Amino acid sequence: MRTLRLFLYGIPAALLVLLAVAFVNASFLSVSKKNEMSIGTLGEPSTLNPIQQADSASSQVGGLIFNGLIKYNQNLEIVGDLATKWELSQETTFQFATEEEAAKALSVLNMKRSNSEGRGFVSLPSSMFSFSILNIKVDGKKLVILFAQPGLTESESILGTLNSAGLPPLQVSSPSSNQENGSDLFFKAEPIIRFTLRDGVRWHDGAPFTSADVAFTYQAIMNEKVASPRRSDFDLVDSVETPDPRTVVVRYKKPFSPALLSWMTAILPEHLLGKLDPAKWPEVYNRAPVGTGPFKFGEWKTNEFIRLHKNADYFLGSPWLDSVVFRVLPDPLTLQLAFQTRQVDFWNVDPWAVKSLQGDPRFDLFSAPGNAYNYIGWNLRRPMFQDLKVRQALAQAVNVPQMIKYILYGHGVQSTGIFTPQMWFFDPLVKPLAYDPEAAKRLLDKAGWKPGPDGIRVKDGKRFSFTLLANNGNEVRRDIATLVQDDLKQVGIEVKVEIYEWAVLLKRFVNKGEFDAIVLGWGLGYDFDQYGIWHSSQTHPEELNFVGFSDPEVDHLLSDLRQEYARPEIIRLAAQLQKTIYAQQPYLFLFVPEGTEVMWKGAYRLRHPGPDGTWIDEPIRMTKAGWSYDMEWFYRPEFAPKEQRQKAK
Amino acid sequence: MTSFLLRRLGLSVVLLFLISIISFFIVTLTPGSPYPWGELNPKISAEVKANFRKKFHLDRPLPEQYALIMRDLFTGDLRSIKDDRPVMSRIMERLPATLALNFTAILISLSFGTLLGVYAARNAGQWQDMAGSFVAFLFIALPSFWISYLLAIVLVKGFHVPILGTHSYGIEFPNGFAAGLDTLWHLLLPATVLAIGGIAAQSRYLRATMIGTLREDYIRTARSKGLAEETVLYKHALRNSVRPLVTGIGMLLPALISGAVIVENIFAYPGMGRLGYEAVLERDYPTLVALNFVVAALVLLGNLLSDLLYAAVDPRVRLE
Repeated sequence: MRTLRLFLYGIPAALLVLLAVAFVNASFLSVSKKNEMSIGTLGEPSTLNPIQQADSASSQVGGLIFNGLIKYNQNLEIVGDLATKWELSQETTFQFATEEEAAKALSVLNMKRSNSEGRGFVSLPSSMFSFSILNIKVDGKKLVILFAQPGLTESESILGTLNSAGLPPLQVSSPSSNQENGSDLFFKAEPIIRFTLRDGVRWHDGAPFTSADVAFTYQAIMNEKVASPRRSDFDLVDSVETPDPRTVVVRYKKPFSPALLSWMTAILPEHLLGKLDPAKWPEVYNRAPVGTGPFKFGEWKTNEFIRLHKNADYFLGSPWLDSVVFRVLPDPLTLQLAFQTRQVDFWNVDPWAVKSLQGDPRFDLFSAPGNAYNYIGWNLRRPMFQDLKVRQALAQAVNVPQMIKYILYGHGVQSTGIFTPQMWFFDPLVKPLAYDPEAAKRLLDKAGWKPGPDGIRVKDGKRFSFTLLANNGNEVRRDIATLVQDDLKQVGIEVKVEIYEWAVLLKRFVNKGEFDAIVLGWGLGYDFDQYGIWHSSQTHPEELNFVGFSDPEVDHLLSDLRQEYARPEIIRLAAQLQKTIYAQQPYLFLFVPEGTEVMWKGAYRLRHPGPDGTWIDEPIRMTKAGWSYDMEWFYRPEFAPKEQRQKAK
Repeated sequence: MTSFLLRRLGLSVVLLFLISIISFFIVTLTPGSPYPWGELNPKISAEVKANFRKKFHLDRPLPEQYALIMRDLFTGDLRSIKDDRPVMSRIMERLPATLALNFTAILISLSFGTLLGVYAARNAGQWQDMAGSFVAFLFIALPSFWISYLLAIVLVKGFHVPILGTHSYGIEFPNGFAAGLDTLWHLLLPATVLAIGGIAAQSRYLRATMIGTLREDYIRTARSKGLAEETVLYKHALRNSVRPLVTGIGMLLPALISGAVIVENIFAYPGMGRLGYEAVLERDYPTLVALNFVVAALVLLGNLLSDLLYAAVDPRVRLE
């Protein structure tokens, strides 16, 4: 019995003592720090194999472990990563009925070529392009031209010349529903990208990096057993050849300008994965990846943290930090608390909290408009949304600036269409429709919707009433729906709001195209290809043009953009696209939220390689590519790097 | 005894299968489908999606999917839809942490709950009893997430003490002892929050039973024999009042595993509760079926242990 009492009083006493001691221990521990950066993430990466995942948590970690062939710099320009040079060219092949015709075509073109000193020639009066032909030759009945630049325009102009010289080439492909441009029925245009790879790069396990790794990565992505979500980026690749360990030549089936960007994908090690059955990858590799990047994988405790150690042999030089740890903290409130005890070094602040932090001298804040916009999608299959005047009226009846003020606490900009201000092809000249409920009422009147007995507008006996959907758990979208409901009531439109769980919303409404209107957002990458969202062919169930938008001019612009390689032209076409879609109002484009990141002032500085072999030392700064660009070159002032230990490579 | 155990095991196996069938159909019939990289992703083509569905048998009829999942579960080849790893590895990674957390929570709630219950029963009807009841009802009424947040804010803002995960980061530990204490701290905090409801419940059950026991004749006899109050309370009354504690253990186990979801999420503690919660949101059917299976097995085991303990504690109970 004494033992029972001892037990009964002893255990609680022991627990209390332990709790007290542990508490004291923990409160004195925040003294000594390691040379380590802590980053908090809300979601945990699913896998660290970059070609088998597409979630942002995985790419954040993967970005430090792997390299692609090319990458964006802080101004969102393409620069080399594992590749030092990339040359684009295109091989266009014309087919003739006989060899004589082919030979004659060759001489015709050679004459024209020598007449204009090899600089090329134009036969389309509406556009002035200068381009160079690198090589023309005849191969049996085929005429093969090598251009210095991919695209269809040059090949089309050659076609025009051949036709007017009385030497029409044979049709080489038949029109299909996917045919975007009628002229390429008569030739085969195959863009080629030639990558020259960097010398002296080693994998984290010491093996040398070669072109075989690039070829293997392509094959892995296309391998069905790997089930890579990036596969559709490489659908148009015809072949990937490796003439030598420092060269990769990629041929495409037809011009597709976003293709270059697909080579930002991480390159995988052939020597580790080449012979391994993909079914074994999750166990053997995906949890302990080997890359070429500035940090090596250290350990991964599931649902807790992932720790990376510096790669002292990184080809640009060893990082200054010893390690980086990604901590999985699923609750936003405790993420904030972790930031305040310096358990994590950065915190993505909610808009309502920014004001209280802005004046605080202890913190540095970095704000920029995000790469996403919120919108209300109108189902264009519903008769009430088919009149453009009605959609314009709806846009003018909703007070978007007020939404930004109250929902985002002023941290956002009104959206003017499908691109966001950070992008290099964004058109700042597109003006948003002004908030003007009187104008909205006039437009509705003109469209035939007259106010009914209960204040709600009526046309042909039908009341203007619809259901607006939003997803559960997203307070911003719920607030948007509420404000929209009230704004539209003022102009005589009845809105019923229904909120569903995300998966239900998709399965029951969006994927089937059965809804009236829905509050959603798009998170975009940095490329201009939005074919999947706006092309009229993408309106089937489960496809992304779920509002059913169809405009022939937009279809042309989307296809043209996909085939345009020249930067000024892309800017022009993208601006046209943005303007046209905005004018059509298939969505009520709402706003682009601004994201703010907080850091303890001076906790980190940046020392990164400069343009001519020097090192640039500066505080962390905001760039077009975000505040965390060059994160591998962050350092802690208390562990400041030694002076100029080596010239930057 | 053996026949009891055998029958019990047989019954448990049948129950487990019934549970797995029910949980599988509930999860798969819920609208929504698993999709690890976002349904509305412009980069994913229909072909990739179809390939993915085929890989995880999502294009087959539901009963066939169930059979395939169960087959894979028993051959050890069941893979999670989220990261294509064997589900059992994912569960086994979390099991030690979960068991540690739940075991500590049960220990805390039993010990403090018993103390509180005995104290209340001993001073039944007086102010100490009222105070004990008040504390107990307070603990039951306060939601665990609220207590967690409050505790977190006080400890972090007031004392600058790290509380998340299983250990503190960015810190060099002077020795193993300090590191061990740090881990203990990170374990005790969520365990305490979890145990609060259990303390209240246990104390109420124990108090009620003990008050009843203290009215029995043999207690009066013991007192009139001149035995010290302590002996009467602990040697006689408490021993005869442990029945609710034992049944309580059986009921605590499932409550702790489910209640842990909220606390684990807030304290970023890597347990099975979070695994299940995330699996539901992601519709990770294989993980859910396997998890339900494991949790159901644990619960049935807990009940069996509780029954055995019951028989050990109360000689009047005979197991057949």
